[in-house]
Formats: sequence, C-alpha cells, structure tokens
Amino acid sequence: MSTDPLPRPSVSAGQQNFRGELVISNLSKSFSIGGENRKVLDGINLSVRPGEFVSIVGASGCGKSTLLRLIVGLDDDYQGEIRLDGSRIATTSLDRGIIFQDHRLFPWMTLRQNIELALRNTDVPKAQRARIVERHIALVGLTGFEDAYPHQLSGGMAQRGAIARALVTEPKLLLLDEPLGALDALTRVNVQKELQRIWMAQRSTMVMVTHDVEEALYLGDRVIVMSPHPGRIRRIVEVDLPHPRDRRSSLLHRLKDEILEELTATPNGNGEPAKLLRLPARDVH
Amino acid sequence: MSARSLSRGQRIAIGFVAPVILIALWQWRAGSGNAVIGMAPPSALFNALGEVLRNGTLLADASATLTRTFVGFFIGASLGTAIGIATALFPLLNRIIGPALHALRQVPMIGWLPLIALWFGSGEGAERIVVCVAAFFPAMLNSHAGAAGVERRFLDVGRVYGLDRLQRLRFIQLPAALPLVMTGLTQSLAFAWIGTIGGEILMGANAGLGVTMQQAQMQQRLDIVLVAVATTAALGFGINLILQHLRRTLLRWQPVLP
Repeated sequence: MSTDPLPRPSVSAGQQNFRGELVISNLSKSFSIGGENRKVLDGINLSVRPGEFVSIVGASGCGKSTLLRLIVGLDDDYQGEIRLDGSRIATTSLDRGIIFQDHRLFPWMTLRQNIELALRNTDVPKAQRARIVERHIALVGLTGFEDAYPHQLSGGMAQRGAIARALVTEPKLLLLDEPLGALDALTRVNVQKELQRIWMAQRSTMVMVTHDVEEALYLGDRVIVMSPHPGRIRRIVEVDLPHPRDRRSSLLHRLKDEILEELTATPNGNGEPAKLLRLPARDVH
Repeated sequence: MSARSLSRGQRIAIGFVAPVILIALWQWRAGSGNAVIGMAPPSALFNALGEVLRNGTLLADASATLTRTFVGFFIGASLGTAIGIATALFPLLNRIIGPALHALRQVPMIGWLPLIALWFGSGEGAERIVVCVAAFFPAMLNSHAGAAGVERRFLDVGRVYGLDRLQRLRFIQLPAALPLVMTGLTQSLAFAWIGTIGGEILMGANAGLGVTMQQAQMQQRLDIVLVAVATTAALGFGINLILQHLRRTLLRWQPVLP
C-alpha cells in the first residue's frame, strides 16, 4: 500500500482533525429534590472519538437523559468537565444537535418550516437552504410530506422528520435521547437501519441513549452500561463488528445476553455486579 | 342517524327546524283569543320590520351598534391580548400589575356603568369605553394563560437551535399561545356585544339596537322591540361565525378533535 500522495489536511483545516471529539471528565450532577441533594450522575469519565457511535444503556434512573441534557447544553449546572473539541460546554450551540424521544416538531409549522427553522441561525446561505431542506426530507424518506403538519404524520414519520431537523445543521455531535422509544417494533427496525445509513454517510459523532440493548449493540461502536442511584458507568463494551451490521450476528446476540445479565444482576451490597462477566469482545478503559 | 352523515345543505336546513316551530307556535298562540300580554304575533313583526327598513332606522341602528362593538372590541381586545402576553413573558411586570388587574376583573361589567357614566358622561366615548372594558378582561386572561403555558420541551428546541429572544417569541411563544388567544378573542367579542347592547339600553345614545329597544319599550311598540331583538340575535350569530372561520383558518395546524 502506497502512502497517500495528497497532502493531509493540516492544522489549518483543524476542523477536520477535531470533528466532534467529546471528552467528559469527573462529571457529577445533583438535583435538589424536596430540599435533599440527590446525586444523579457520579464520576462520569468518557472519551468519544470523532465520528464514533456510542450507545448508552441502563435502567431508568441512571441519569442517561440528564447526561445528554448536560452535553447538549440545556443545563450547565454540573461539576466536572464536558469538552467538545477542547472547549468547555456551557450552553447550547449549533455544533451539537439532539433528537428527543418525542419528536418535538412544532405543531404550528409544516415539516418544511420545522426543518428550515433549524437552519435559521446557521451561516448556510439563504439561497441554498430550500435545497438542503429538501435533500434532508428525502434522506429520511418523507418526500411528498413537506407541507404536512406534524399531526398529519404518523409517529414514525414525525420522528424521522425530527431526525432530518437534527441532521440539517450538520452538527459535529448528535445526541439521541431514546429517539426510537415511542415507535412500534417494525417502524423501529426501519428507522434504526436509516439511522445507521445516515451515520455512515455523515460520520458525525453520535451518542445515543436507549433502554433497548439490541438497538444499542446494533448501532454502537461501543456500548456504555450504566448503573443507577447515582448514575455511574459500570462497563464499556466495544462492539468489534463493521457497519452495516447484520442483526442476526451471533456476536451481537452473545453480547446482548451478557449485557442484559449485567443490567438485571442484583448488586452485592456495594454496587458491584454479583457476577463477573466474561465478555467476548474487547473491554476498554 | 348521526349529524355527521348529513350533507352540508341538510345540516343547515336542520338548523332552521327549531326556529320555524317556535315561530309557528308563537303565531298560533298570539292568534288565539287569549293572547298573552306582551306578545305580538310574528305577522305583526314583519310589518314592523318593513316599517323600520323603509324609514332607515334599522340600518342606522345596526351600523351604530356594530361600529361601537368593533371599535370597542378592537381596542379592548388588543390591549388585553398585549398585556396578557406581556405579563406572561415578564414575571416582574406580572408581579406589578397582575394583582390589580385580577382585582378589577372581579367587578361585573354592569358595575362599571355608573363610574364610567360619572367620569365620561353618556356620550359615544363613554359607550365605547364600556365595550373596551368588557372586551379587555377575557382577552387578557386567556392570552396570559396561553403565553405562560408554552411547553418547556418546545422552548428547549428553540435553545438547541440558538433562537434569540425575538425569534423565540415569533416562532414558539406566540404560535403556541394562539389557540388560547383565539379563545380569549371569541369571549371578548361576546362580552363586547353584551356590553354594547347593555350600554345602549342603560346609557342611551343617538342610535343603536339597544337604544331602539329601550325607546320602543317606552312607546309600548312591542313589535319594534322584537325586531331589534331578532336583529341583535342574527348579527351576533353572524359575527361569531366570522370569528369561528378565522379561528379555523389560523389554527389549521391543530388536529381536528373527534
């Protein structure tokens, strides 16, 4: 194999080099509930490589959605550090997108208007916006529904619309907060495939929270297993399979069984899993 | 058979059934020897209607009443909507003027008449102020509720896409408040209508449906009173239809409730 004859993008094209590297260090977050301080996230350390797809699974109450709210910048009240490409996250930015569990398209806007709104404060030239919006509507298979209001779309279609809205700004980092949780099984499988295709095409960094272990393994390069009260990272599982993946892969099934076992295991008093795991794929960190 | 399976024409026709029966009963009772005092037969009404149409008083009354209603509604409801939304957006403003407005709101519309008559006399200006006051409160209360109740999840989306204050108002808060704003306007219009007719009857004016009702009552012209009442009913119904249509157009993004 010969060396690349083209000059590599240097520091001047730095954006390419550091596109969407997320580093979380010593992150903790508490809520005050009834005057009592409750820790929901404790000592979270995680590095996400640019272009990586990371899934987070865990029982409810393990703070996964809170973690995404912090990363997207909707909440800046935390201890520790969250850095995207080196700079500390304190508020929202068009660098970071999020897809919520409910689609959150504005009911008073058509699909097209909803997606256009996401571009409003970007530096995308006005003349190109319509075409870009159209392309993203096509990307999620909603061509023909541009002028539909959200209530005229099915749940799956609206969620795909929300995915298009989140992608249209081409965020370096896309956060997905149980984006497919409200969909029926069939739609879910289809949208998972679509997500994988889109991610492979765009290669932006993605962090997805889900409670579906199968989905986490199907999409994720790594799966972060979290434990609740307070939310901690319990294990990081590397899924060593190329994309696009075959849902029937025996490795995915084995990993699924073991992660499920870990999630349902009863802690032996000090929060440690009752049973040590033998994971076939590499464990990192 | 459900009302839904009917055609548009059938539905409109069926709405006339109750009024026609009512008028037939009325004519029959008024025609029989023991007519109730204070009741004129419908046939007399048509004569009276012809009379006020020919001498132009009906048209003058209707236009005076409608003008009063619309001017008062426009000023009162605009102010009410603006203040309702402003108090929802600026909590400090709400703290300052909210309690006073909520106390004043407890005064029934009729309760304002003596004060307004005292301060502003009984001219056209006083009439319009009555209508303004009547239209103000429903618009204020509903638009406040609408703008204060914008869902956090939508505001979060606005933050994610970096909307500034003005964009947030234009693209999220105002549209989200619109259903309740429209409810407020519908109520305001009804109150403005009541305020107009009530003011005309109690305070008097040059012309107006309420003025004619009052004067005809003094002259014991029951037929004219009834013509004025029927005209008021028909106009009120018409105004409401227009507003309902506007509401459906502006809120076409809302799912149709079953």
